Amino acid sequence: MEMKFTTKNVNVYYGDAQAINNVSLDIPDRAVMAMIGPSGCGKSTYLRCLNRMNDTIPIARVDGDIRLDGHDIHSEIDVVHLRARVGMVFQKPNPFPKSIFDNIAYGPKLHGIATKKSDLEAIVEESLQKAGLWNEVKDRLGSPGTGLSGGQQQRLCIARAIAVSPEVILMDEPCSALDPIATAKIEELIDELRQNYCIAIVTHSMQQAARVSQRTAFFHLGDLVESGPTTEIFTNPKDQRTQDYITGRFG
Amino acid sequence: MFLWIAVALLLIIMGAYYTGRGRAVSSVSGNYTALHSLPSYHGYYVALWAGLPAFILSIIWFFVAPQVLEGIVLSQAPESVTSLPPERLQVFMADVAAIAQGGIPSQVTPEREAAAEIYGSYLSVSNWLMFAVAISLAVAGLTYGRARIRPRLRARNSVESMVNLVLIICSTIAILTTVGIVFSLLFEALRFFARVPFTDFLFGLQWSPQTAIRADQVGGSGEFGAVPIFAGTFLITLIAMFVAVPIGLMSAIYLSDYASNSVRSVVKPILEILAGVPTVVYGFFAALTVAPTLRAWGGSIGLDVASESALAAGLVMGVMIIPFVSSLSDDVINAVPQSLRDASAGLGATNSETIRQVILPAALPGIVGAILLAVSRAIGETMIVVMAAGLAANLTANPLEAVTTVTVQIVTLLVGDQEFDSAKTLAAFALGLTLFAVTLVLNVIALRIVQRYREKYD
Amino acid sequence: MTDTSILSKTDYHTSEQAERLLKKRYRSEARFIFYGRLAIICALLILVTLLSSIFLQGYTSFYQHMAILEFDLKQELVDPQNTGDPEVIAKADYRTIVNNMLREKFPDVTVRRDRKALKDIISSGSDLFVRSAVMADLSLVGTRATIAVPLSDDADSVFKGFIDRTLPEDERRVKDNQLGWLDQLSEEGRIESRFNMTFFQVGDSREPELAGIWGAVVGSALTLVVTLLISFPLGVATAIYLEEFAPKNRWTDLIEVNINNLAAVPSIVFGLLGLAVFLNFFGLPRSAPLVGGLVLALMTLPTIIIASRASLKAVPPSIREGGLGVGASHVQTVFHHVLPLAMPGMMTGTIIGMAQALGETAPLLMIGMVAFIVDVPTGITSPATVLPVQIFIWADSPERAFVAKTGGAIMVLLSFLVIMNLIAVMLRRRFERRW
Repeated sequence: MEMKFTTKNVNVYYGDAQAINNVSLDIPDRAVMAMIGPSGCGKSTYLRCLNRMNDTIPIARVDGDIRLDGHDIHSEIDVVHLRARVGMVFQKPNPFPKSIFDNIAYGPKLHGIATKKSDLEAIVEESLQKAGLWNEVKDRLGSPGTGLSGGQQQRLCIARAIAVSPEVILMDEPCSALDPIATAKIEELIDELRQNYCIAIVTHSMQQAARVSQRTAFFHLGDLVESGPTTEIFTNPKDQRTQDYITGRFG
Repeated sequence: MFLWIAVALLLIIMGAYYTGRGRAVSSVSGNYTALHSLPSYHGYYVALWAGLPAFILSIIWFFVAPQVLEGIVLSQAPESVTSLPPERLQVFMADVAAIAQGGIPSQVTPEREAAAEIYGSYLSVSNWLMFAVAISLAVAGLTYGRARIRPRLRARNSVESMVNLVLIICSTIAILTTVGIVFSLLFEALRFFARVPFTDFLFGLQWSPQTAIRADQVGGSGEFGAVPIFAGTFLITLIAMFVAVPIGLMSAIYLSDYASNSVRSVVKPILEILAGVPTVVYGFFAALTVAPTLRAWGGSIGLDVASESALAAGLVMGVMIIPFVSSLSDDVINAVPQSLRDASAGLGATNSETIRQVILPAALPGIVGAILLAVSRAIGETMIVVMAAGLAANLTANPLEAVTTVTVQIVTLLVGDQEFDSAKTLAAFALGLTLFAVTLVLNVIALRIVQRYREKYD
Repeated sequence: MTDTSILSKTDYHTSEQAERLLKKRYRSEARFIFYGRLAIICALLILVTLLSSIFLQGYTSFYQHMAILEFDLKQELVDPQNTGDPEVIAKADYRTIVNNMLREKFPDVTVRRDRKALKDIISSGSDLFVRSAVMADLSLVGTRATIAVPLSDDADSVFKGFIDRTLPEDERRVKDNQLGWLDQLSEEGRIESRFNMTFFQVGDSREPELAGIWGAVVGSALTLVVTLLISFPLGVATAIYLEEFAPKNRWTDLIEVNINNLAAVPSIVFGLLGLAVFLNFFGLPRSAPLVGGLVLALMTLPTIIIASRASLKAVPPSIREGGLGVGASHVQTVFHHVLPLAMPGMMTGTIIGMAQALGETAPLLMIGMVAFIVDVPTGITSPATVLPVQIFIWADSPERAFVAKTGGAIMVLLSFLVIMNLIAVMLRRRFERRW
């Protein structure tokens, strides 16, 4: 399997507290990597290292070697380009208070992917289609994105991320604010998207990880306990802590 | 006199407290549990009986006595005085009171001195009478309250419902203030509109409130078209906004999104100093530093800048409003949820792109509300324009010329030698009413916009 | 989803084109930051300019040049009957003594016009200084005494360097002969620069060198006392009622909206209220701290109410529950447990309200506190002025020396405000979140 991200000895500190200790993990292309673990284990923090979102927190400090396609994301890739190539979907749906069209068009306009209106329209349509939202909103592209339901909003956010032609999509518990039906739709979508993208998803739900991912990494107290093919982690974990977590002893 | 009454009353009230408490204790011979309320409540109970009626009487006396005195003085005054029109009579009485109390009268005439003599003698009678009545009321209250003390007396409940009543009365003062403002402005303004038609005032293009001393003077009848004043106010407010909005908004953005903590903790309080500087100081700065500087600069490039140009007043007023705009914008910008910033940053937007294309559009209603509040403040600002703007009502859009404003006119019309019977003084109240109405509407709209905006992101 | 779609151009972000655009975007970012810095720097520069211009114009008012002259306090002029009675001595004709001194000191000046010019170099209030020197030491009567009297404001400005000697004489406020006399006094070492005590001891005057701010300071203090006595109890009581007792209904909603709007009413409107209601309707005395205090109290009331409510809100409900839980009544809980905890916040709000009131000018102009008042006020009904109004009056005066006085008065006013705000900040720091 071809690896998109390779990370070695990643440490993250919030002020004096260390949130992640020496995590080394590779993330494969065109597959879904799930990160699981109890709350506060550092999985979200790790995910935010991959597109340098931790930079926006003044007290956070990241060190270690993180490479996207072999290029160091801190020294060789500009942060703006990195975030364009590595899209992100957040825990709570956060559409901009703009129209559905403008929500999607925001990214492509910024990066100059489309300059003509027709190109822009094509991108909007295609992104919405890929996110499985096109049929629901095609008649009201001008209405505000905040007027959609929670599940639709989250798919809008996914479409918005797709619209800037990323290679990787990071998802930080994308379904935690959604009801089961909306969750199922998003999971379906993730499965489709894996054909074209590298996807890393942080999730609270082990079932979700089992359903959507090919590989899984288990985090505990800032340590990467173990990682490997999802089936292996769930059926035959090597570490006692993984075993305990999966069987519901804690978490 | 008032001081002595206050001291005497205070002593009686303290006495009442201890009497009540002592009597409550002795009524159950020291067995506290037999009392319905704590002894101290019995003390408060008697103290209230002693103090409250006397206090209320003093307040009423304080406001009514001058009216009564005035009646007495007028009943003994010569025909030449009693036949004066009400406005002149007011001045007369003010002078009489001033002479009698050692103040500064506007003029001293034999009639005034004679009346002051009468006024003064009745004033001392009134004061002594008040002293006697207040003290006896207090003592009577004390006796009555003391007589009512018995173990089962629900003293706490009585005292607490009294406390509640006092609190309610206090909270209505704010309403009374508004009612007072509205009525005093409306009353005088209506008298003005009885002389000058409402439409002439609102749409007239000529403002020269000087009523003639000689019949042949130009503009002898006085012109009260307020359009030039409104235009001047608008011009200066506009200039102020051109200074305050960009600087205030940009500094709020910079401080909340770019500055390090240490910079923010130093710069923010410094900016707040600008808000704490009294307006009269800004006025001094505008009139003695900014205006001459502008005039000199203008002169050096061949521009004729009036020494009381709208520009100088507007610029300084803008400076005064910077911290106002900046702190309101800061609140508004910080109310935009972090998740939107994250979303934008996650798409690869630079900080400024996020601010310009996500934060500002999202915060726009709040910012508009903030600007409306700032406009209302600029319109109502007085000292800067009184000291740095002009008096003549020019209808011009040229910021280098002198214009006048609503507040300047109110001050000029009411300060100095007042002729109470002229439309001139009443015009000030009409302007005041306009000012009050405009700022009120602006505030109501702005507060509503800001509130809606907050609710949206709560 | 075909490969021809725009979205499959995943290599776009590493292309030349994207690289070029990125440079442009970073330039615009830098520009934006620059505007932000510019705004801050502008604001700071303005503040520095404001303060320094006031300092530069005002600091000269804190010192004054005095002429140390020898006065012949002849017995027959001061106390002809040799009574030694201070009352008689106080009423003596010191003006003649001053004139005699000038005649003696400059015997060559004989022309009437020159004599007038000569008189103008020392303060027209010099006789008062001679008198107070004599009153302080009665043994001076009948002797020749060396007494320091202030120079007139024009002469004072010569030594403060405000008069350009190179100007032609008719464009100068101090003429050549006056400069000559002043130089002569200076060479004899009779001119001394001293701390201007007068400025802090007396009320207003038509003569800049005799004008002081003490009258205005006392007026401000009296006014603020009235304001505080009215607005603090009323404001706190209203806040307590609205926050702790009031039922939620239309009436209390109305009060709330009303308070918020009052907070934004222009201050001059409060002045109009004061004029119409307190002066014209109730007939209270004009120019009195009583009325000024009433008007300012109404004006600061919303500030105090809003601050007090905020600090009551900040007291956690557990305190109230605790009070009620041990069997205290609602009133007892509020007054014994909640109020003491909220008091620092209320006091902070009150001090800030008082600072506002101290700096307020416009409403006081409406109720006649702008009159020219020489005497230091003695009570809340005697005519008075306040510091900001004094500043306004002086700033309007044509004499150059009054500009300096204005600056000096502003510095005094600002230092009062700084002190009040520091106290507020300290209170806030000290009592911040004790629970």
